[in-house]
Amino acid sequence: MQSIIQVSGLRKSYGNLHIIDGIDLSVLKGEVFGLLGANGAGKSTTIECILGTRKADEGNISILGMSPQKERKKLFEQVGVQFQETSYPDKIRVDELCQETGCLYKNPANYKELLRQFGLAEKEKSFVSELSGGQKQRLFIILALIPNPQVVFLDELTTGLDTKARRSVWKSLKELKEKGLTIFLTSHFMDEVEELCDRIGIIKDGQFIFCGTVSEAIVESPYEKLEEAYLWFTGEEVADNE
Amino acid sequence: MNKFFITLRTQIKLSFRGMDMIIFAICMPVVMVVLLGIIYGVKPAYDGATYSFLEQSFGAISTIAICAGGVMGLPLVISDYRQKKILKRFQVTPSSPTLLLAAQVAIYMIYSIIALVLVYLVSALFFGVNLQGSLLPFLGSFLLVMLSMFSIGMLVGGLSPNMKTASILASVLYFPMLIFSGATLPYEVMPTSLQKIADVLPLTQGIKLLKATSLGLPVENVLFPLIIMVIIAIICGGISIRFFKWE
Repeated sequence: MQSIIQVSGLRKSYGNLHIIDGIDLSVLKGEVFGLLGANGAGKSTTIECILGTRKADEGNISILGMSPQKERKKLFEQVGVQFQETSYPDKIRVDELCQETGCLYKNPANYKELLRQFGLAEKEKSFVSELSGGQKQRLFIILALIPNPQVVFLDELTTGLDTKARRSVWKSLKELKEKGLTIFLTSHFMDEVEELCDRIGIIKDGQFIFCGTVSEAIVESPYEKLEEAYLWFTGEEVADNE
Repeated sequence: MNKFFITLRTQIKLSFRGMDMIIFAICMPVVMVVLLGIIYGVKPAYDGATYSFLEQSFGAISTIAICAGGVMGLPLVISDYRQKKILKRFQVTPSSPTLLLAAQVAIYMIYSIIALVLVYLVSALFFGVNLQGSLLPFLGSFLLVMLSMFSIGMLVGGLSPNMKTASILASVLYFPMLIFSGATLPYEVMPTSLQKIADVLPLTQGIKLLKATSLGLPVENVLFPLIIMVIIAIICGGISIRFFKWE
């Protein structure tokens, strides 16, 4: 299988603080990889280093065989990114934001098609700020898909969504996965991770304390549910009992 | 350059929806020229002057939009886009955040040019203004003043850590320059002591340059303001390019 994202020996520190202390990972084509960890564990920094918006101190990173810093322009024709703090100007309409995103790429997807696919067709002329949380989140996934990417990065996919909205986002992503899209996501919700991810990596203090499939994670722990296994790995279960 | 025009079109729409620039860059100079026209009419600038008071003020009023766009609009939009991580989002595309900055600069240039044309039309059609200076030196100066003021705005927007700092700095620069540089309140009616203070403001020098070129005054009048404008553009532009914070 072809490796889409390849990271080895990634290190990043600010002063004496080691934010990331040797991370290796590889995501295969068509795989959904979930990066898990508590806030402050180094998830965001890991993603930023992989994307090249932050410079790693050490390590090799390649996406689709390209360096995100040296071949940025070529690489990001094929990579879609959805940011955690989603960023759009005030008073922009849905179609304008889609057009503005689309014009940056050589072969953008038809955004109207994507809006239809994600159930936002009737919101085309609405202001982004007037969309509900779930609609916004779906729009930001659409923006990440506009490049017609081979791989997408989705940061905290469904934070702030209600159950129904989360399910509809999951459904759409599964469809995309079936079409061969590689997905790298972060999430705080274990039900979501179980539903979507082929493999997960749990990060703590800048290192992987587990990397493998969801069922492997459960087997390795003394528990039967991913959520408990996750807390066991991260050592947060004790705090819960207090 | 298709992506530039699509970006520009969207950003112009957003700017129009914001309304601030329509008011501060388009309406305000027109109101100002009408007011000064009503107050001074065709009165000469001083006894024996070959040009009227309003003709003398033309160069000054034409900078109101430059001042609003460069020192207020530009820094605010840059720090806003940075704070919202919009600039950062452009870093993970095949394009770059400079595309967005270029579109913003273009928008404020467009506002300044629209204001210049409107101020000229209103003053020429209704108040008989007839400028003696030649067009090219005036337009060259106008462009230079624009460059210089915009580079101040780039510096403020590019280096302010957040929106709040940017908006305080922008106000501190904008309001004194708007009132005391002669852009609104004519420099000539200020007492000499106030004029001395006004001379410190960069826009005051820019206005002197525009007055001289619009009225066709001798070249020696423009040398000092010309140098000041170039120096500001180089220093502020240079620092903002070197130290611009994308996030």
